[in-house]
Order: sequence, then structure tokens, then C-alpha cells
Amino acid sequence: MKNKTRAAQSLLARVAPKVEIAKLPTGVRGLDDILGGGIPEFSFNIIAGAPGTGKTTMAHQIMFANATAKAPALYFTALGEPALKMLRYQQQFTFFDAAKVSKAVRFVNLSALVLEGDLDAVLAEITEQVTAINPSIVVVDSFRSVMRNMAITGEMAMQSFIQRLTQFLTSWHATTFLIGEYGEEETRGNPLFTVVDGLFWLSQKVERNSVVRKLQILKARGVASVPGLHTVRIGEGGVQAFSRTLGFGRSADKPTRRRRLSMGIPELDKMMGGGVLEGDSLLIAGPSGTGKSALATQFIAAGLRNGEPGIMAIFEERPQGYTARADSFGLNLKTPQAKGKLEIVYLRPLDLSVDETMQEILDAVERVGAKRLVIDSLVSLEMALAPGFREDFRESLYRMIVALTGAGVTILSTVEVEDSFTGFSFSHYTISFLTDDIIRLRYVEIDGQLRKVMVVIKMRGGNHSKDIREYVITDKGVVVIRPRSTEYDGLTTGIPTRTGPRPPQGDEAAPEPKARK
Amino acid sequence: MRRADPRIRDLAGRLIALEATGSQSPSMTIPAAFAACEKLRRPLATLLGNVGFGALLSRALALATSEVKWLGVVHVDAGGVLEGLAGPQATISPAESARGGVVLLAQLLGLLATFLGGDLTLRLVREVWPKLDVDSAVFVKGSAK
Repeated sequence: MKNKTRAAQSLLARVAPKVEIAKLPTGVRGLDDILGGGIPEFSFNIIAGAPGTGKTTMAHQIMFANATAKAPALYFTALGEPALKMLRYQQQFTFFDAAKVSKAVRFVNLSALVLEGDLDAVLAEITEQVTAINPSIVVVDSFRSVMRNMAITGEMAMQSFIQRLTQFLTSWHATTFLIGEYGEEETRGNPLFTVVDGLFWLSQKVERNSVVRKLQILKARGVASVPGLHTVRIGEGGVQAFSRTLGFGRSADKPTRRRRLSMGIPELDKMMGGGVLEGDSLLIAGPSGTGKSALATQFIAAGLRNGEPGIMAIFEERPQGYTARADSFGLNLKTPQAKGKLEIVYLRPLDLSVDETMQEILDAVERVGAKRLVIDSLVSLEMALAPGFREDFRESLYRMIVALTGAGVTILSTVEVEDSFTGFSFSHYTISFLTDDIIRLRYVEIDGQLRKVMVVIKMRGGNHSKDIREYVITDKGVVVIRPRSTEYDGLTTGIPTRTGPRPPQGDEAAPEPKARK
Repeated sequence: MRRADPRIRDLAGRLIALEATGSQSPSMTIPAAFAACEKLRRPLATLLGNVGFGALLSRALALATSEVKWLGVVHVDAGGVLEGLAGPQATISPAESARGGVVLLAQLLGLLATFLGGDLTLRLVREVWPKLDVDSAVFVKGSAK
């Protein structure tokens, strides 16, 4: 008997394999990843949220991404934004394709029927249009205004309407989107939210002077969506979503045999045991003026000389400042820039979201095939973020570093720290756990001069020099000038004590070109 | 007073002529203009609803009336259809009657171009009158030669 059952099951499995749910692209950058590939075909969905959160725009993107003359989209408008204005504004977005309007994308106004409050007439009109046009995508905007009839028609009539509409549209091979301005309290006990397969919730929050838009997939039958709140931005391309797990999909194991990469400063390479390990995250911490950006420039230039494309993501100093500094060190960044081997990504808009920044950097890394990345600096990156995003800064930074270093990109981040003359902090942030290697730059007072020293604090991948070395910034960039000093104690405090003999002091010219000016 | 762009007037004149084809009498130009508006009403009422189309046509009529006074007796009904034509037809000259039709249709097309943009308006006109050869620059601002 058991054998017969097994045989029957096996036969059934061969004859009737499990249904495959096709996924439609959303046309919303980032949303397909959040949805685990796209929107399930023939699903019945709600796009909900407060006014101005991008519901209509998102629906238009989905519609224009999928509609063709053979499989058109049907957009019913009902007492929401007047169709004339909707088309006027939507055509400002780059996804809007006027050639599709009226053939692949059709608009039908239901306002008069909705105003009459006759749900049967509304359903009859939808049925008639759908039957005539045979659309693959159906949108009702705003379904909330249709639902307002519930007070007149009663809950059972509304439930019946929703059931009939759902069954009809699903049977008619249409993927449906109902748009509505719902409050969260309306989701409880509402038959509509029980019936739907997908629930896209858009929201916006004002924090101080910034607005932060978010998307949450509250429900998504048939797909493994990414839970949680995802950042959303509305730009010229329409709505763009940034998954909470942005970047993780691209992470790969670091190569087992990793090369040592030159920092572009021979003595520093020696201090680091031959250079930074490929795929490491290196933090350069130091106060203002200690040469963090100079060191970052030399790091990128060394990579370019070695055929490793690079990205410099900068948030404070302008790109021209970077190329000018490189010129003054005899390092040519302009040619690699022109050849597409180097991109200087300057990001300083208001209300920057950390996910957007990550996306910009990840895109740039992909564009140039970058092997080295500079983030200069973490402090200015955080300052450029909208206040609401600063809470997520460390988490997002962690994601980006893991994703990029996992893909073999070597990252140099700079961070500004204040020199205290009693302590030796690496950073205001608890970010050292994100980094494999840390180099600390600081000022010390020696022989009546404020000089600069550097020390390699940590190298996860191997041994390193423990020496505290003095360096200067010359027309060659950062140059480590002396072997470790044994004549002082307490160099890390910034106010060392001389323990050795005092050599005669000549009148020394200031060694740094900018000091000569 | 917002006068319709001369190129749009020219297009309106051609559309009316096309609608009047088959009619021998010049007095048919007014019904032809009304017929052209009615042809536009069908797709636009689907998009905007009868009320939405009626509002747009009323605005076009108001703008046209400031230029052609006899159009003041015409009005738009609740379904977005032009009414009140019978009276003036008997009293105005054929030329004045033709001018009224052209100005009204040109104002309606001009409003569509303002709100929907030249590209969508051009597509709509080509869809409604597929046989008519329409210059793609007609609704582009400032492209008049």
C-alpha cells in the first residue's frame, strides 16, 4: 500500500510539477532585489502610504516597465489626482515613454461611477474595460476613494466587491495594483488587506529639516522579500529603492592567497610588512593637516601605476583639489580619470542617505572595475547624511566594507580625530572593528617644533612594525624620514620626554612646501 | 487674451476641413468643428472623465469667445458636448462661422499641449485622424519659422 502511494506521488510529481511563479520586473531600481526577483505574476497588490510618498510614481514605473501593445496596462483613475495633472507630472520622469500611451498604457477614468457610489457599476466598468483590452497590468488609483463607499454600501457589500474584483482580475491573468492613502490603523480587520498578495508600504518621516522616505514590504506572497525598512529616493528616474542588504549579494570570499599592495610610500610599505593586504579595509586616523588625504592620494596613485583602477569617494574637498594636490606631488590623476581608470566621486548633496552613497560607490566600483577605494573622510560622509540616516551609519558602513572587501577591493578610509595630549584615540566612532588595519597619524612636540609621526596600530593579516616614525609632507607627498627614535619616551602622548642626549640644533628650514609659502 | 498659436490654428483648420469633407456647403464648417471636438471627446473622456473633458472644453470655449464673440451663445453640457449652435448659424457670415470653429478647436488643442505636452497631444491627434499628415513640430514652443 505504501509503495503504491509512493508510486502515485512520484507519478504526480512527474505529471504535475509545482507551479512556477514568474516574476515581473518592477522598473524601480533596487525593488526587484528587495522582492527577491520581482513581482509575482497575476498577484493582487496594494501600494499604500501617505500623500507624496511616491505611490503613483511607483505604479507608473511598474506599468511602463511591463506594458506592451500585446500585453497592455490599464490604469483606472478614481477621484485621486486628476488624470490631466497626473500625466503632466509623470512625463517628467525618464521612465515615461509617451510612445506607449494609449497603445500599451491606457487610462480610464472611473470618477463619475465612484461618485455615484454604485460599486456594481464600478465593477461592471472595470470588467468591461479589462475584457475589451485584455491587460497584463491593472492599476486602480485611488482605491481608497472607492473604499470610502463602505460607509454607504456597508461592509459586506464592500467585501463582496473586493472578492469579485480579485477573482475576476486574477482569472483574467492580470497583475493588479491598488493604490491608496491608508493609515496603519486601517490595515487591521480590513478585508482588503487580508485578500491581497502583496502590500507595499511607503512612508516619509521628517527629522529636523530633513525628510527620509522608506519602503516596507509588509506582505509578499510567493517571493522571499527582504524584511525591514528600505530607504527610498524620488529622483528624475522615478522611485529608487535601496535594500537594507544592499551590497551583500555581491560579497564573495576573499582570495586565499592575497597580494601585498604598495601604499606608494616605500618606508610605510616596510612598516606594514610589505604593504597592505589586498582586500583589506585600512583606516587612517589623524587630526587635521596630518596628511590623511595626501596619503590616500598616494595609495590610489600607486594602484594606478600597478594597473589597479580606483575610486575616490570624497565628501568635503572638491575633486579639483584632489587632482591639484596630486599634481603638486608629481602624481598624475587626470590621465587615468580621462581613461576611465579612476573616478573621483564627489557626494555632498543635502539629505544624503547612506544607502544612496553606497549605491553610488558600488556603481562606480563596478563601472571602472576598481581594485582600490578611498573614502575621504568618514566624518564628512556622516555629516553629509540626513539626521535620520546617521543612526544607521555604522551598520551601512559595515555592509559596504564587507561587500567590497569580500569582492577583493582594498579600502582606505580616513577619519579625523582630535589629538588629545593625554590619550591616543583611533577614532570618535567605534569603527575599528570594521577595519583590518589601522594607521595612526599624530602631532608631537619635539625640539620646539610640532612634528608629525605615524604608527601602524594593527594589521589583521600579519605582523607589522611597532616603530613610531616621523614623516613630513614634501613635494613627493608623505615621506617617512627617520628611523624610530630612541631618544624620547611618551611620543604617543604628543608631549614626549627626552631620555637621550640633546644633539646640537641647527637653523632648519621648514621641510614642507606649504610651510614655505 | 491668449491667442492660439498660428501653427495650431492652421492644424485646426485642416482638421475641420477634413471633417467637412463630403459636405458641399461652407456653413457646414461649424458642425465640422463641433464634430472634431466630439472626436477628441471620446478618447479624452475615457482619460479625464466627462467632467474633466467638459472642464477643458469650457476653458477652450471661454478663451475662444474672447476672440470670436458669437461663440458666447455656445455652451458645454454636463457630458462634455457642445450645445447652442442652432441660433448663430443663421445670423453669422460663413467666414465668421468658420473662424469661430477654427479658434475653438485651436484653443482646445493648445490647452492639451499646455497640460499634456506636445508629444502626447500630437499622438492623440494622429490617433484620432490617422490619415492627416501632421508636422511633429506643431506643438513645439518657439519652433515657428
